[in-house]
Amino acid sequence: MITVDSSPYSNSRKFKEFSHYIASPQRYYLLPFKFHRLSPGKEVIVNEIGDLLVIPMGTTGRIVAGEINPDNISDQELFADLIANFFISVTPLPELIEVLATRYRTKKSFLDYFTSLHIFVISLRCEHTCHYCQVSRVTSDKNKYDMKRFHIDAGIAIMMKSPNPHVTMEFQGGEALLAFESIVYAVEKTKIEAEKHNKKVTYVICTNLALLTDEMIQFFFNNGILISTSLDGPAFIHNRNRHKPHASSHQLVVEGIERCRQRLGEEGISALVTTTALSLEHPEEIVDEYVRLGFHNIFLRPISPYGFATRSTDKNKYETARFLDFYKKALARIIQYNLDGYFIREDYASIILKKMLTPFPVGYVDLQSPAGLVNNVVVFNYDGAIYASDEARMLAEMNDLTFKLGTLGEDTYEEIFYGNKVSTLSEVMINEALPGCSECAFQSYCGADPVFNHTTQGDLVGHRPTSAFCERNMEIIRYLILTMDEDKKKEKIFRSWITGKS
Amino acid sequence: MEVLQNDKILKVAIDAEIYPEVVLLKCLYWYSNTFEVDVRKSSTSQYEISLKAIRHPDKVDWAIILLKLKQDLIDFKLRQHITDETKTIRELIIAKAFIYYDQQEGPVSEITDPVGFNPQSVKV
Repeated sequence: MITVDSSPYSNSRKFKEFSHYIASPQRYYLLPFKFHRLSPGKEVIVNEIGDLLVIPMGTTGRIVAGEINPDNISDQELFADLIANFFISVTPLPELIEVLATRYRTKKSFLDYFTSLHIFVISLRCEHTCHYCQVSRVTSDKNKYDMKRFHIDAGIAIMMKSPNPHVTMEFQGGEALLAFESIVYAVEKTKIEAEKHNKKVTYVICTNLALLTDEMIQFFFNNGILISTSLDGPAFIHNRNRHKPHASSHQLVVEGIERCRQRLGEEGISALVTTTALSLEHPEEIVDEYVRLGFHNIFLRPISPYGFATRSTDKNKYETARFLDFYKKALARIIQYNLDGYFIREDYASIILKKMLTPFPVGYVDLQSPAGLVNNVVVFNYDGAIYASDEARMLAEMNDLTFKLGTLGEDTYEEIFYGNKVSTLSEVMINEALPGCSECAFQSYCGADPVFNHTTQGDLVGHRPTSAFCERNMEIIRYLILTMDEDKKKEKIFRSWITGKS
Repeated sequence: MEVLQNDKILKVAIDAEIYPEVVLLKCLYWYSNTFEVDVRKSSTSQYEISLKAIRHPDKVDWAIILLKLKQDLIDFKLRQHITDETKTIRELIIAKAFIYYDQQEGPVSEITDPVGFNPQSVKV
């Protein structure tokens, strides 16, 4: 029996004293939750709003059978945890159902304002010849491969029609800086339009930094533009992945990062890793390179199965198991740096951890339900075509226009975002209603990705047992939960990743 | 649960009262990456399921597969039980979450604060 504190404050505690529940009838009612076997001795239960509880194997069966008895001293803590975390209720309708509903709504609040990220593929031209490159062309034909001004204007007009008061305008390529003049035009035009439409705009340029000039850096500084670059690891990996004729791409990007940091500050530039078959053999070296260059975050992304990447089978087709092995080794290295006092977080894990450990949604397109395409992102291609996501335009380079939503300057906002194509896609954009996902305990941490399903399996719904997306995310999520459960020091590090406090 | 097995195929007779069709299908879905799965109703009270390896049938350890199948069937039955029992409350949570224009009423439960003071006693 637990002794209840009889302080004068106890009457105003959010949760009632334990005796309240013990005095209640023994019967309890299940609330919606799902479970998954974590390891031979542990399972995890996850409720409708993403709260989780790691419990001994076989406990779910006992919960469902109504065997958790608060009179039994060994069950008291579990019973309290189940009540407090909305897994069971002592009344058929939980007293705090309004709280549950509000938290559910909060988890889906990324839908409130609709599309935020507007990607402008400002040019398809590039001066690199990366073997895994998904779309770029090495050419000087600006006329054919740069975005035309009237397409830029039409894209800005659509962005201004978004119900979202805070939009992001992201310039991609090819190499975006090859069309710097177009970027200047687009930013200046957007500033005027944003003022008219009362919108806050965040500007991002994705670039390999090889063409960076002082004039460009000054422009970024003047307009608060964020820079996103690619750094695949140390020189021997980066230069192999990102081949630039007659130059060291690694040297150029490292110099570019330093120059940007000096003018824009540490927060003004970020870098992404693209993993290839070569990268998979060097997880520790990649992490070490990020630390050497003073980064405090690293995003370990698997290579996407789109565009030219799928044609380079020898170099790029690697098994999910190999990626997971790479990921775990790299994560262990990152954790060790944190244990040694250097704060560095892994961004993919941080996205999932934020979904697990906070009430808030994460605006990451690949792990959302309803899916991030259209709801959160739209892509304006260099030729005026509009696609549902960045991956969708890469698919279009393989002559697959399944996710083409319209054309800039020809279709209206309503035709693009509320047309038949989006209506059809929306049926496969909710993982709560997809086979395999509907019963999955990790549903609220994962997402629906019909573009990936279509590309890899030729089916918008997808087949989870053979899906690399499913296998990868299931294992990463399982591994993160197990790591937190087994080592409280590591859990503390994970929590620091989502609070930003080391 | 009756089991019939040879080198290439595993056949299991399942009591339909214990494992209804929905449980069988949700469970066997996860076997469809490595097995050709067949489900048929052999009588009013029984299903017969058969698993045939799609690749390398000679390397399949059927004893392990059978053990996993039995475990998975129990797991999926549990999942179905939770889904069925909580269907109404789940729908209610989602409906309440997305009602936009309902008149905001005061919370049904007492307003209290976890740190101990009563916010209703605070004069603004």
